Amino acid sequence: MNDASSDDDLRSASHAEPGEVGLVEPRDYVSPAPFTFDNGQSIPGFTLRYETYGRLNASRDNAILICHALSGDHHCAGIHSLADKKPGWWNNLIGPGKAVDTNKFFVLCANVIGGCQGSSGPSSTDPRTGRPYGITFPAVTIRDMVRTQKLWLDSLGVQSLYAVIGGSMGGMQVLQWALEYPSFVKRSLAMATTAREGAQAIAFNEVGRQAILQDPEWNHGIYPKNGGPRVGLAIARMMAHITYLSDASMDRKFGRKAVSARHKTAPVTPAEDVSELSMEGIDPVTPTATFDVRFEVESYLRYQGKSFINRFDANSYLYITRALDQFDLAGTHGSLEAAFAPVEAATLVVGFTSDWLFPPDQNRDIALALLRAGKRVSYAELSTDLGHDSFLLESPQLYDLVRGFLN
Amino acid sequence: MARPSHLKRTVDMQIIADWVEPGARVLDLGCGRGVLLEYLVQTKNVHAVGVDLDFDKISACVRRGLTAYQGDMMSLMRALPENHFDRVICSRTLEELPDPGAIIEQALRIGKTVTVGFVNHGYWKNRAAAFFLGRKPRNAVYTTAWYESRPTNPASIADFEDFCTLRQLKIARRAHLGGDWKNRSSLCPNLLAGYALYDLTR
Repeated sequence: MNDASSDDDLRSASHAEPGEVGLVEPRDYVSPAPFTFDNGQSIPGFTLRYETYGRLNASRDNAILICHALSGDHHCAGIHSLADKKPGWWNNLIGPGKAVDTNKFFVLCANVIGGCQGSSGPSSTDPRTGRPYGITFPAVTIRDMVRTQKLWLDSLGVQSLYAVIGGSMGGMQVLQWALEYPSFVKRSLAMATTAREGAQAIAFNEVGRQAILQDPEWNHGIYPKNGGPRVGLAIARMMAHITYLSDASMDRKFGRKAVSARHKTAPVTPAEDVSELSMEGIDPVTPTATFDVRFEVESYLRYQGKSFINRFDANSYLYITRALDQFDLAGTHGSLEAAFAPVEAATLVVGFTSDWLFPPDQNRDIALALLRAGKRVSYAELSTDLGHDSFLLESPQLYDLVRGFLN
Repeated sequence: MARPSHLKRTVDMQIIADWVEPGARVLDLGCGRGVLLEYLVQTKNVHAVGVDLDFDKISACVRRGLTAYQGDMMSLMRALPENHFDRVICSRTLEELPDPGAIIEQALRIGKTVTVGFVNHGYWKNRAAAFFLGRKPRNAVYTTAWYESRPTNPASIADFEDFCTLRQLKIARRAHLGGDWKNRSSLCPNLLAGYALYDLTR
């Protein structure tokens, strides 16, 4: 961390595994100035929670910004405590000697505005009322996410971005960064993304939103912390999770394996017992034996839904999926080529063959439009069968590509 | 798309570099790992774009600081406007392409000039392999047996020039190399040249 005290440095150095970022601490950027959203509404100030790894160099030009996806957050590498079972979500890509090398680069990631992992969003307290914003929080766009991050980077003295990197919604932010702040962004790397969602992706998001909105506990967005539309949010997550995988990867992982058989072999999630995996108190009705969890894939999705509601706010889910759906560079600028006209960064777009949420063609379209606009752009397409989440894959081929682009 | 061989590549690369205008916008069809484009960037400061089918080749281009597009060259060209490039290069790739005539015509739409470099199958050693031995030619360029080779669509210099006449393409420049792919060869090129380079315009 750039501004860690020397004690902190010693501590993280002593605990860092070779090639690992090690212990990290989130920090808050608090903007005292009002922020006006794309829709014209404003809030009196805002907070972005962030993490940094590596050091900003003297010429302040080695910063790499990581942009997270819908359900991601600022914690993209390292661990928060030695007891952590899982490191940050892109830990396989980021670290000393890794593709995004923290020995060379100062890597930053912030939770998006509208989120719920420490940045201002619907679950934050509105200083004007003393109560959570709920749905009085202004509608958020991808551009709002980018503009608030720019204010935060300015406050840290970052003068330019060596690169902006992100997958899925993170990739949308990457594109927005490159056209919003052309001279600030030197390289942009967008993966598994789109310049505008197709009807299918909007449709999935809408089903997720309806699951939340139709849950009586949603109560027009007014609910206590740890309460609210937990069933709706869990169902939204279960369905969305399917769209991040693929037929092949689900079949390989679960096939038609039954849960009872699971106990005879090694359990998938040892900490979770099957009864716990059923939706317990959040089930609207007690399922009869016929409809109780039968296949491993069901138990897996229930587990995904259940763990999601403990870390994500339903209103944030509504806001961020809406931001995803509204994002439309061609629609906003007349054409994709017009949108990209100001871009100065060298761009790399990466699609994944099995991604059916933001399919390769939508990634190609970004590259082709940049090419038509006369920009420096490369397009690579990795053959994987892991679906949309392929960008998080442990793939030496992907690491080599990213490393080659950055060096 | 792999070129037949990494051998003897310097002379044809140099000829292409001689023909390329400094600072030109260049597209390389079947750019492989970007060796030619890197050379053109270094010698002629071109704005280079490559296209190839293979992820690792694109990755190698990116590592060289080049821009490259992974995908089908025909789809890429169809997505680009007329005269988008000063020059489109199709070097050591031609014989592996399906419907090469359509590709050259498409290249002439998006590029003002098209450079084509190809192995001359009229070269006497290639003829001899077929005529005297009754075999597919195997040599430093074609190292593999038929059963481990990609489909090829071999053409001779005479075939190519006939094609240009038929389609009314202007041959702005030509260069023929001997069997060693090193020295220029001007006498009876269809029989004595091992490799041929052409600059075509509309």
